[in-house]
Amino acid sequence: MNQRGGWALIKNTWQSWIQHRGFFFLLAFGWMLPLLVYLFIWSAAAGDGTIAGLTQESLAGYYLILILTNQLTYATTNWTVGDNIRYGQISRWLLQPMSPIYHALSQEIAGKVVFMLFSIPITGLLALIIRPQLNLTWGQALIFLPSIALAWALRFFWGYWLALLAFWVTRADSLLALQDSLIFLLGGHLAPIALLPPGLQTLARLLPFRYMSAFPVEVLTGQLGVQETLIGLSIQLGWTVLAIVLYRWVWTRGIRRYEAVGG
Amino acid sequence: MHHLKLIGAFFKVSSQAELAYRVNFFIRLLHSGLNLLTGVLSLVVIFNQVEVIKGWDMPAALALLGVYLLLGALRGLFIGPSLESVAGMDGEIWTGTYDFTLLRPVDQQFLISFRHWRIFALVDLSMAIGVLVYALVLLGAQLTIGMVLSFLLTLLAGVTLLYAALLAFSALVFWNPGFLFTWVINDLFQLARYPVGLYPGWLRLVLTWIIPVGLMTTIPAQALVGTLSPWMMLLTLAFTLAAFLGATWLFRHGLKKYTSASS
Repeated sequence: MNQRGGWALIKNTWQSWIQHRGFFFLLAFGWMLPLLVYLFIWSAAAGDGTIAGLTQESLAGYYLILILTNQLTYATTNWTVGDNIRYGQISRWLLQPMSPIYHALSQEIAGKVVFMLFSIPITGLLALIIRPQLNLTWGQALIFLPSIALAWALRFFWGYWLALLAFWVTRADSLLALQDSLIFLLGGHLAPIALLPPGLQTLARLLPFRYMSAFPVEVLTGQLGVQETLIGLSIQLGWTVLAIVLYRWVWTRGIRRYEAVGG
Repeated sequence: MHHLKLIGAFFKVSSQAELAYRVNFFIRLLHSGLNLLTGVLSLVVIFNQVEVIKGWDMPAALALLGVYLLLGALRGLFIGPSLESVAGMDGEIWTGTYDFTLLRPVDQQFLISFRHWRIFALVDLSMAIGVLVYALVLLGAQLTIGMVLSFLLTLLAGVTLLYAALLAFSALVFWNPGFLFTWVINDLFQLARYPVGLYPGWLRLVLTWIIPVGLMTTIPAQALVGTLSPWMMLLTLAFTLAAFLGATWLFRHGLKKYTSASS
């Protein structure tokens, strides 16, 4: 692996994206809105009481943190992987003396920086208006860090291996839409996992989608006990390892199959 | 009559272009299905926790979802693609190809509003009607002719409001060609998924009188459920007329600012 080339690429991409920040702010705004909708809906449903043990203020805290973590873990680049394979852009990357995954990673990092420039001030402003209640402890914050890192890695590599199926089928990006829908339903967007009906709750705890978005938020907002946290972290780690294995496997098969015409 | 013939021709040409890509139909079907599934499941999850939120129960919320899907389908059928081609990403105003559109011997606003059609959106349209019919069945036999008429009238108002909002945001592109104003309104439209009364007071005011996405779906749904006062209906119709005239004025005014894009 070529570390220096990778780093130069990351810096380059980041600087170019900052130039087009208006566009990325718009994207971030679009991702924020559905979560805001459910923040308001559940707040209205809770009223002055509680709903499954959550008050209006703690629901607001959950969703505001989720808005930030969702943008941190959302792998935007996976949407362009398929196009790069279809249009042959990847041929150029294969000639460069570093793994093409650096291109995806550089866009990931650039994206996170630009999205956060928008999301942090907006979420802060919203927090001033709707006054969430957060009981943060150092312990929770400490476990939050590995869990958000794993959430990002899981979501990125899961989407990446799905996107790489473009080596075989042309419209593999539909699978990414399916993944987004499942994250919406089972990843704590539609409702905190604790509010789902029992059947969906079990599904959410087993499938990878909760571990891509809601799990770090549950850790940080103190919704989980010690045992639940540890079990969650292990499941998250397991899915992440599987995602990386799948990515390596699909990549090595796909690249052998890849051929480009012209240039 | 002449205009209807033109719309027929636009529809035919657009459909022929789109039907050439058959796989896209199945992709579209998948996306529409996911949209419907997440919409209905959201309501199931919410009303599994609470029976009534601020006067809205499951059948009423389902009727509103039907209206939301119906408006979304109509937007996807022609309003969206037509206006996007002018003011959206790489739109004609940005690239300068709007010059050719201006030369056509037909009313500009008519042309840019009806030019492009997405025949696959008919799938969404039929799904939306299905949801509405199912909601009506759940609501039971309390339906009267007067309610149906007021529903149809307010639905027309909702479509007009949506059109006016999209046209107004498209017109803003004349002042600032680089910014994707149509995306902003598309994002905000997601807030129309739920009754405007569920949002906190400040947001309700904005969504009713400033960017009226709240009115678009809430009022027709209220007409169907029978909770719409005649006074509010008249106010909505008057507001719709004003919004339509205002958006038309903004578009014509903006048109004068167009200076082409090339050197």
